[in-house]
Amino acid sequence: MQVSRRTIFMFLWPWLVGLIFWTGAPILTSLALSFSQVNVKANSQQAAWVGLSHYREAIGVQDDVEDSSASSVKQVTPYRDDQFRLSLVNSLVYTVFAVPLGLCSALSVALLLNKKMRGMGVIRTLVYLPHVLGGVATIVIWSWMLNPQYGWVNEGLRCIYLAVDPIVRLFYEQGTADWTTPNWLYSAVWCKPSLVMMHVWTMGPGMLVFLAALQRVPLHERDASLLDGAGAWHRFRYVTWPHLTPAVLFNLIVGTIFSMQSFTEPYMLQHPQQQDGLLFYMLHLYQVAFEPPYRLGYACALAWIFFVVIAAMVTPMILASRRWVYEAGMDAA
Amino acid sequence: MNSKYDAMRSNILQLTLLAICAVVLLPLFWAGVSSLQPLDEVYAFPPRFSVKHAQWSNYSKAFTQLPMLRFLGNSFVIASTSALGAIATASMAGFALARFQFAGRRLAFGLLIASMLIPSYVLLVPRYMLCDALGWMDTYKPLIVPAWLGGGAFNIFLFRQYFRKIPREYDDAAVLDGASTWQTFRFVILPIAKPVVITVGLLSFIYHWQDFLDPLIYLSDFETFPVSLGLRMYQSMAGTWANLLMAASLIALLPVAILFFVCQRYVFRTLQAAG
Repeated sequence: MQVSRRTIFMFLWPWLVGLIFWTGAPILTSLALSFSQVNVKANSQQAAWVGLSHYREAIGVQDDVEDSSASSVKQVTPYRDDQFRLSLVNSLVYTVFAVPLGLCSALSVALLLNKKMRGMGVIRTLVYLPHVLGGVATIVIWSWMLNPQYGWVNEGLRCIYLAVDPIVRLFYEQGTADWTTPNWLYSAVWCKPSLVMMHVWTMGPGMLVFLAALQRVPLHERDASLLDGAGAWHRFRYVTWPHLTPAVLFNLIVGTIFSMQSFTEPYMLQHPQQQDGLLFYMLHLYQVAFEPPYRLGYACALAWIFFVVIAAMVTPMILASRRWVYEAGMDAA
Repeated sequence: MNSKYDAMRSNILQLTLLAICAVVLLPLFWAGVSSLQPLDEVYAFPPRFSVKHAQWSNYSKAFTQLPMLRFLGNSFVIASTSALGAIATASMAGFALARFQFAGRRLAFGLLIASMLIPSYVLLVPRYMLCDALGWMDTYKPLIVPAWLGGGAFNIFLFRQYFRKIPREYDDAAVLDGASTWQTFRFVILPIAKPVVITVGLLSFIYHWQDFLDPLIYLSDFETFPVSLGLRMYQSMAGTWANLLMAASLIALLPVAILFFVCQRYVFRTLQAAG
């Protein structure tokens, strides 16, 4: 449709204004701020150039104090941010477990939901529900589920212990009497598995992507393999799986990006007894920026480092995808 | 023989699906049980799986202990105005990108995709400083105004994909009848795109209803808190009244659950059409 320039702008201006002032300008500001120290005073914010020192501080390279005195800007006291490393490792550990487990659960549920059955629509909606309901309320409910004493998770475990007790007694005199239940969110060891469990529970969008991919598997390929006498496993491995690979890649990338960035869960669920086990990267970034002494410049540097880290995680996935992602399936997705 | 085998398989399938649904719904079910128990039953050891005397007053108490009604109202104002903004401005941009021929159209689409790849944490601090400079702290403007400025790249993308599938004959017929471009968009194309309007509205309503980080950064006055921040406060204050906490959580979930059940058939359809 040929339209006047005025009409084009009439339709596009809200988005363009947003693109320039809410995305474009902030990116440049963020980059500039990461090299600056921002002083937050009563009604004004002043920034002073500090070069790479924020990046050095995070990564742990000591500033050469003599050298920096040459510049007129007062140096930030050189100190190493121990929490940077800790929070990055925490986020990585969480992601390494949450993403593959989440993928497996989403895929297996999607395989089950792909069958034709009465009431399947209702079941699909129910399984998708946890994702829709996600947020603070679900986190509150889970923290109660995982309560070491009154929660159902540990009560379920105690029931299992009781059930297997006679079997264990055959090998071990004590039985299950001295088996303990985890303290979940009140423990340095179990706090991350708790979050992984919550993540696996909300399989939502990944499951939908798998379901859509499954519905694109051509029926004639399946029928042909049936005629050739392929068993269930071979049918999955050589017919269904190739068509699923684009969805796996997509979910892997999106899952990694989102898991690395999780903030609300660790923020809501942090507890001193975890000994910083839930100090995730975004939580650290938030604390640096919005808790005294409000180091806005350093927070920007942390954000850009995080961006590089996540890019470094995702790029190999995309590069390696040529080896295992089925091209014909790619067109459909 | 084969049919007997098939019947068994389908029974196993049904049982497995039932088990999955049970696992998925268990936390919600248990929240329901806890929310109805009196305090001594909630903190009974071992935990009880049933309610002996349903104490419905827990729900009214959840409303009086903290201003839950106020929180819900605040959330509703934020989420509904944001959803309206996303529908209005994302559909406009989506229409322009789907229909208009102009120099820089490819560039515009490229920018749209690129802006989806920019992570929000990089923008966190500069946006905060911008809002501070504009005097927007402790108002809903930082939460609502961005939704009226394009409403998110993904929503624009959804609209564009849907508009592209609507035959051009509709536009041509409208123009022949003397409709302006705006009228064609507003009264011919947008009504056809009802499923995507509902999807975008629902997704952005839910997003803003659940949003935690932005309200946490921009709002400090208790009276202006949305339900997500309110619940967080409830959790730290009422940690010893688990039954009230569960009641409040379920109240916070209810609007989203109802909306989702009403709109879900449109959502699944749109997301699948977008590919």
